[in-house]
Parts: sequence; C-alpha cells; structure tokens
Amino acid sequence: MANAIRTEGLTKDYGEARGLFELGLEVAAGEVFGYLGPNGAGKTTTIRLLMDLIRPTRGRAEVFGVDCQAHPVDVKRLVGYLPGEMPQWGGLHGRDVVAYVGGLRGHIDPGRVTGLAERLELDLGRRYREYSSGNKRKLGLLLAFMHPSRLLVLDEPTSGLDPLIQQEFYRLVEEARGEGTTVFLSSHVLSEVERVCERVGILRRGQLVQVARLDELHHLRYHRLEADFVGEVPVDAVRALDGVEQVTVEDHHLSCAVRGGFGPLLQVLGKGQVLNLVTHEPSLEEVFLAYFRDAPEKPPAPPGAVA
Amino acid sequence: MTAAAPASDTPVPAMAAGGERGGVMTMVRYALRTHRWAFAGVSLIGFIGPYATGASYAKLAATAAARAAFGRQTTAFGPQLAYLVPLPFRPDTVAGYLWWKGLTWMSLLVAVWGLAAATGLMRNEEERGLMETWLSTPFSRVRLLLSRAGAFAIAALGAVLITALGTAAGLAAGKASVAFPALAEQGVSILGIALASFGIGLAAAQLASTRRSALALGGVVMLALYALDALARVNPGLDGWAAISPFHLADLTTAIVPGGQFAGAATLALFGIAVVLIALSALGFRRRDLLASLFGHRARQTAVVRSASTFPLVRIPVLRSLWQQRIGLAGWVIGSVAGAAFIVSIARSTGKLLQSASGFKNYFTEAGTSSATTAVVASVWLSIAALIIAAYAITQTSHWASEDAGGRLEMQIAQPLARWRVVVERAVTLVVAALFMAAVGSLVTAAIAPSQGVHLDSGGLVTATALLALLALTFGAVGAVVISRLPRIAVPALAVVAVVGFYIPLFAPLFKWPGWVLDLSLFHLYGTPLTTGVYWTGLWVMVAVVVVGWGVAVAAMRVREVGS
Repeated sequence: MANAIRTEGLTKDYGEARGLFELGLEVAAGEVFGYLGPNGAGKTTTIRLLMDLIRPTRGRAEVFGVDCQAHPVDVKRLVGYLPGEMPQWGGLHGRDVVAYVGGLRGHIDPGRVTGLAERLELDLGRRYREYSSGNKRKLGLLLAFMHPSRLLVLDEPTSGLDPLIQQEFYRLVEEARGEGTTVFLSSHVLSEVERVCERVGILRRGQLVQVARLDELHHLRYHRLEADFVGEVPVDAVRALDGVEQVTVEDHHLSCAVRGGFGPLLQVLGKGQVLNLVTHEPSLEEVFLAYFRDAPEKPPAPPGAVA
Repeated sequence: MTAAAPASDTPVPAMAAGGERGGVMTMVRYALRTHRWAFAGVSLIGFIGPYATGASYAKLAATAAARAAFGRQTTAFGPQLAYLVPLPFRPDTVAGYLWWKGLTWMSLLVAVWGLAAATGLMRNEEERGLMETWLSTPFSRVRLLLSRAGAFAIAALGAVLITALGTAAGLAAGKASVAFPALAEQGVSILGIALASFGIGLAAAQLASTRRSALALGGVVMLALYALDALARVNPGLDGWAAISPFHLADLTTAIVPGGQFAGAATLALFGIAVVLIALSALGFRRRDLLASLFGHRARQTAVVRSASTFPLVRIPVLRSLWQQRIGLAGWVIGSVAGAAFIVSIARSTGKLLQSASGFKNYFTEAGTSSATTAVVASVWLSIAALIIAAYAITQTSHWASEDAGGRLEMQIAQPLARWRVVVERAVTLVVAALFMAAVGSLVTAAIAPSQGVHLDSGGLVTATALLALLALTFGAVGAVVISRLPRIAVPALAVVAVVGFYIPLFAPLFKWPGWVLDLSLFHLYGTPLTTGVYWTGLWVMVAVVVVGWGVAVAAMRVREVGS
C-alpha cells in the first residue's frame, strides 16, 4: 500500500537539544496513526513540518509522494488540518469563519458543513470570541473535516471536548477511515489512541523511539496479581519464576507483575493456602508511563553522527 | 466578584518574596512594559515638536519687528483654525508660538494615548486571557486596576518631563527662557489631561464588552468633548458647557507664555476627573464579569445556525479582507470626508487671509499656485489626507502583525494557497482601501470646492488621489518588510517613519537642509500634485520602495516559519 506520509531524516533543530531529530516515519494510506509523546516531545513540530509551516534543518517529508517543501500547495489540497491552537478569529461569527476558510480552499459543501455542525452540536451563529474553548475546538474540527481530503492531520483533536463530543469525533474518524482517508493524529491521551488508532509512533525528546501496531504494543503489557494467604507466602519460589517481577510481600499479602502465562505462578501459589486472588490488566496509559519512566534518556545525535 | 483575601495561614507563592507590595510592583512593572513603545513615541514627539517649533520661530521671525508682524498675522489667522486648536496667545513671542503650535497638539496626543492605553490595556488583557491569570493570584481587582493606572501615570509623567525638556530646549533655540515653575505648571496641565483621558478610557472599558467597542465608546466621548471645546471657541454661549471638557481645562493653562496663567482650578479639575473616573471604574470592575459589560444583558434567544455564511464577500479575495474591517474602514472614510469638508469650507476665508499677509505668501507660492484658496485645499487638505493614509497603513501593519501572531496566518497557509498570495492580497487590500478613502475625500472636495470659489483641476485631483494610494502602498511596503523579520517592532518603526517624515518637510526649508534629506520623507516624495504636478523623483523613489519592499516581503513570506 502506498504511503500517505513518509519522512526521511527529518530534523528541526532549535538548539539546546530541542526540536525533532532524524525522523524516519511511514504512515500507510488508509490507516489511522497515533502520534504519541509527552509535552515538548516534537509532535507539533512534526505536524508543522508536514504542513510546511516551518522548514526542516535537514531531511525531507512527503505526503502521498508529494514533497512537502517543494510542493506545499499540492500537499495542502490533500490535507484537512486541525492546528494545536485555534487562531484568534475575534468578532467573526462561526459561519463567517467557515465561509472564509472555505473560500481560501475554493469551495464549500454546504450539506457537509451543516451535517458536521449538527453532529458536533456547534452553533455557527455565535461570534468566535463568545465560544468556549470546547466550541472553538469543535469549529476547528469542522474546518478540518468539512472538505474531502485524503489525509487528516489533527493536532490534539479532542483537547477540551466533552465526552459526548469525543465519542462523535471517534465516529467521524471511523467514517473517514471507512472512506479511505488516512488520519494522523497527535495526542497524549492514550485511551483516545487506543480507541481509534491502528498503529502508533512514540516520540520522546524529539526522537521516534517506537513505531508499532497497537496489538504489538499490547505485548508490552503485563498483569498485576494480588493474593492473600492464610499462612506463609511462598515468596522465594515466586521470585525464582521467570516472567514474575516487582514481587512484594506485606504480612500475608503478595503483589507481583506477571508477563506471559500464569501457569508456573499458579502452580507455585497452589503450594500455599490462597484465601483470595485478584488479577487486573494495567491500561495502556500505565504501560506507556512505565515505558517513559524506565527508558533511558538519549540525547539527540549531533549532525553527521553515526548511530 | 472580587478576589477573596487569603487567610493569614494560606501560603501565597506569588508574593512570597515581596509580600503584597512586591505583587503591586510586579504588576506596575508589567504594565510599564506594555507602555514602552507608546511612551517612546510620545516622548519623541514631545521633545522634537516643541524643540523644532521654538527653533523654527527664530528663523521665521528673527527681529523684533518681524516677531510683531508674525504675531499680528498669526492672531488674524488663528480663528480659521479655532475648530482644531485654541486661539493663539501672544504669538509675537517664541513661548506663545510654541504653546500654540507645539503644546496644544501635545495635549491632544497624550489624550489619545491615555484613551488607547486604558481601553487597550484592560480589555486586551481580558481578551487574551491574561486578566484571568492575574486574578487567579491573590490580588484584588481594585489593586490590579490601580496598579495599571499608576503605571500609566508614571509613563505619562516621564513623557511630560521629556516634553518639558523639549520645550525648554525649543525656547532656548528661540533665544527665550522660561522659569522652572512655569514649565512645571505647563507640564502638570498636560499630565492632567493625559490622566483624565485615561480615566475616560477606563470607564468606557467597564461599559463596553470588547476592546474595540471600548475604544469606540471612549473615542466618541472624547470626540464629543473635543468638539464641545472647539464649538465653545467660536460660540461664546457654550463657554459654560466647555468647562466639562478636559481639552478646555488643559487649554486654560498658558504658564510658559509671557503674561500667561496657570489655571490651578482647571488643572485640579483634570486630576479630579481622573480620580473620580478611575475610582468609578474600579467599582465597576469589581462588579462586572470578565469579558462582559458592567450593564451586560442576557443574550437574546436566537435560532441555532448550522450553516456557513452564504454572503459572497466573505469568500472573494481582497473583498473578504475589506469586509472584515468594514466598520473600521467606515470610520476612516468618515474621517477623510469630515477632514475634506472642513478644510474646503474654510479655504476661502483662510485663503483671503493668506493673500493679505505677506508672511504667509511663501506657503502658497511654494504650493505652486497664485491662488491662496487653491493652495489651502491643495496643501492643507492633501497633507492631512496623506497623514490619514499613513495612519491607515500603520493600522493595517498592526493588523497583519496580529494576524501572524494570532494564528490566522497559520490557518491561511495551511490551506492550498501559495504564500505569495497572502502578501499580494494584503497589498491589494491596502491599496484598494486607501484608494477608496482618498477617492471619497476627493469627491467631497470636488463637490464642495465650487461653493467656496475654488476651481480645482480635475486631472490634478485624480492624480493626487491616485498618488495617495501609492503613498499607502509605500508605507505598507516598509511595514511588510519589517513584519517579516521583526513583527513586534513593525508598528513603532512605521510610526517613526511617519513622524520623522512629517517633520522633515516642515523644518528642512527653515534650517536649509539638503535636498536628499527632504527625499527621506515619504510625504515630501508625495509632493503637491494638485498644483505643482507630479514630483517625478518622488514618484520613482516611491515606486522603487514599493517594488523592493513588497518583493522582499514576498520572498520573506516564502521562507519564513509560521507558528514556530
């Protein structure tokens, strides 16, 4: 399948180790790709490079094979864009903003605009400055989705939206994917990514540290097990097992993390007198938090350095 | 709603270092920082204006006889301008002339500054969300507002001190002296009108719900008070009413002029107006919601709109930009029309006076006509029109800078739109708006002129009008270049170009500056096309500035980073 987005050694060096470094990323056409990372990781920088709002220090980016720096107008014909921060439209009414941006693109589909406004419950008759932050975000989503596009680039799309509208947004993304549109969304809300994305790229300190399908990332997952014993806890036997980590014992209570199957652990636990046993799966959020907490910090490679 | 005072055992991190006084000083320092560019501009004019006026007086009237003759002519000429400035007082002295020509305009300038500072500061901070942040600290609204007023008072005092220095330097250049107390009294009067205007702006900011509406409301009130003062000058029956006008109260002090007076009660009244209005504003600010008017009403129930505007002007390039600024543009056009109508209406009487006064003959001979009446229209009106056009170009530059900073530019170039088109649309919008303003002013001039016995060459009027659009494009080119590299200083830089350009033609002949200095002024490059024809050197220089400036702006837009 052709790539919707492809970058090679894409770098934006702001100095003092800030920016984006040697990004090599491929997003397939038709997929929903989540771009994850903590604040300041370089998510918005990547998006602005794709949209040709800022220029790379080196490297290149393409959208559907079109060079973002050489042919930015052609790229933007293919893209629906939601910026991380909404522009200040001041006293313009919502309907005027829609008409204005539509005019910049050259056309508007009135039926599509009305449909989106109804689904997002957005009153376009009010002035922009009267909008709440959530309504401003809704207007941004409407502007991004109102024209047919092959790629949607959405920077923190659900920031400030209430849960009901978030659900509507997820449905819009599903529909877009159904129509063959590629969706590239940045977020630090992992549940959102978990809900709509097929693959994710994880960015940290300007470097792409992982790209994987969500189900592959689930392999990073572990289960937490809690058990209460009537008598002694067979703690030494538990610690000796492969795939069992973070073992703690307090009085007659055992807590541990289990990767892989439960069989060997259950056999060991069966040697004691188990009163109560509970397991639960940590959320993807906890998995990523553990990942970011534990991963060593790598300074960005200097230009020309060999990895 | 007021910010509750913290309990004594509540930690207050923001003020831990210096306590509440430290917090006040932080707020004052922040507010002072916001005034720095306006302070620099007002101070610059405050120094140069009086100094140059005093220095030029020595050239205009070098001997006692010349001064006496000049004084008689100015006294006779004064009533023609009574709608704009006070009547001259002892213009046979350098101090009298400096007061009339320099300091009365300075009062007007600081009044505009006070109004703009008060409406812009409070409302701008609210609209940008800063006020929410300030009020989330343990800092009461009243204290916050008073810190803002205090900061303006400090900035205004600084500008007045520099004006006083300029005045003293101007008097010295004119071979006159002034006692320090008289200079201080004159300065206190100017400070008074600055603070009174700040008070009016602050009160307007409580009554309106947006920065623009606050500025408009305050502007209308100030204009009415200015008009009241002006009308009272030509109609003594209104003299009693004029006492409520800060402009009238400021005009009463003529302390630096020999035989002049310090109007203590009037000056006290100015400070009284300031104190009362600032106090009322503080009360209003305590009661009202942020981003709302003190007397805000509940929103009307209106039908929900789910469709885009079908109004065609919103979508058509250039027209969409003009439509978005339609209210402001209407104000500029009304200003142009009013200016044109006023100048033409006084042209005949002023022309007769000029014709009879030998001292003024050079004004219209330099304008290239034997008719003084035509000279008044050609020189005075078109000079004012050029100033209006320059001011409009500066506001457009400010608009572009806020578009860039506010994310609109990012949204524009995130659409399939070549970057150069953004620059070209800005240039075309500017030239269309300027041409429209100039054309309406010229049409009014042409319509009224025959009733005043002024016969204008229609071809010359068309040329003069078209060149005004070129002048706007030239100012815009400078603004567009500066914005592409240093957007924050674009407006002050352009203001300096305008102010310096305004003064150069006034003083170059008096001080015999070389021709190339004159050509540094965009107003000089514009020339007097209605009477002397096109100043071709100026035309080509302006065309060169336009081509190079807008070319650089296009090139810079192609490579610049947006939103980084």
